[in-house]
Amino acid sequence: MRFDPVLAWDSMPALLDGALMTLLVTFTVMAVGGPLGLAVSFARMSRHRALAWFGAAYVSVCRGAPSLILLYLIYNGLAQLDVIRDGPLWLLFQHAFFCVTIAFSLNHSGYIVEIMRGGMQAVPAGLLEAGAALGLSPRQVLWKIRIPIAIRYGLKAYQNEAMLFMKSTAAVSAVTLTDLTAAANEIFYMTYDPFTPIITAGAIYWIINNAMRIGFGLLERRLNRHLAIA
Amino acid sequence: MELLSFGDSGYGDELFYGALITVQLAVYGYVLALLLGLVFAIVSLQGKGPGWWLFRVYASVFTGVPSLLIIFLFYFGGAELVRGLFQPLGIDIRLDVTPFTAGVAALGMVYAAYLGDLIRSAITNVSKGQFEACEALSVPRRHMWLAVILPQAFRIALPGLVNTWIVLLKDTALVSLAGLNDVIANAKVAAGSTKEPFVFFTAALLFFVVIATVTLPLVNRVARRLERGERRAEV
Repeated sequence: MRFDPVLAWDSMPALLDGALMTLLVTFTVMAVGGPLGLAVSFARMSRHRALAWFGAAYVSVCRGAPSLILLYLIYNGLAQLDVIRDGPLWLLFQHAFFCVTIAFSLNHSGYIVEIMRGGMQAVPAGLLEAGAALGLSPRQVLWKIRIPIAIRYGLKAYQNEAMLFMKSTAAVSAVTLTDLTAAANEIFYMTYDPFTPIITAGAIYWIINNAMRIGFGLLERRLNRHLAIA
Repeated sequence: MELLSFGDSGYGDELFYGALITVQLAVYGYVLALLLGLVFAIVSLQGKGPGWWLFRVYASVFTGVPSLLIIFLFYFGGAELVRGLFQPLGIDIRLDVTPFTAGVAALGMVYAAYLGDLIRSAITNVSKGQFEACEALSVPRRHMWLAVILPQAFRIALPGLVNTWIVLLKDTALVSLAGLNDVIANAKVAAGSTKEPFVFFTAALLFFVVIATVTLPLVNRVARRLERGERRAEV
């Protein structure tokens, strides 16, 4: 087992391009999946039977299925349906990046639904009653009290999910996007060096992963700055 | 529906055998992760010695990198890695790494890092009195671990263990990218030759969703059995 520093240095531009794609996918999915998950969590907690059932089914499918299958289903499977193939939506669904965004957002938002639901239900009833007693409208109580507190409660769980999901984006190479893993693979097939490109890519993933951990730590400190430090 | 039938006219049997391989891979990987995780937990419980640091570095590496990358590393470089490890000992091992072995080794080692932490914190959460009682009754150490501590730690760790099982099961999908003929690879072949990708990918998706959903009630029964010695608060 040898690590070839010259090859590692030479492949750096290609790997960094791949890392950029990994980051782009990660942040796009976080931006799309967050609001989507919030919306479905309302359905999940709804008093309407049908809406609540939809929310539960959404969570069990999006969380229970590997993102690779969701990706195949959307990228290859939907192309088979005439509605998609011949309709205006085809303009979007023919792009790998769009399909990746949809597939991973479904998966990511499935987790967010449960995190938000847990957070919202954990907000103490007294706080909500105090808001109502002070004359805030139900809408204000929701957006100014309940959701901000639920986000704080759920932040740690969301951090775990976001970091797991960043790593799971390695699967996007299956639909022709060149992310960090795909870039490392291409270098392997050119050089047949099984260690250098993969270990270098692994180091970049490790740095991204820990940068996310530090970022979430800072965010948590900022959101909880009103609390006394234990 | 004919597409999913067994026999020559459909792809039902191919999907079924692919699903068996997926389950086999997940079970082997999980057992490996559990054994390694238990070793890590016990080593890192000895305080901040070299064992603790070794586990921290191991966990940081294996949880900071995608499992797909580890699968590729073991699949492409596994034979050379094993040879390199055993050569200093004077043993020359040449082995063929199949996607299946690479998958079991990679998933087992990645999830061992998660399970090690989980099991360690479960053991530290077993009440201290249990250890002291064993000491006072001079219960042999082996019996203390096997009959007293680990069963209680298992109850505490159960939700996390189940969660990891479901995450690991979903991660087996990635091994198909290294060429394993699992349920996904077979669904892909079937989709390609029949031009009906929607049906087959939906079938593969349902397989995973059903296993994940079936696991939960099963686990609840185990949990109730493990809790039989605990006093429940009256509500």
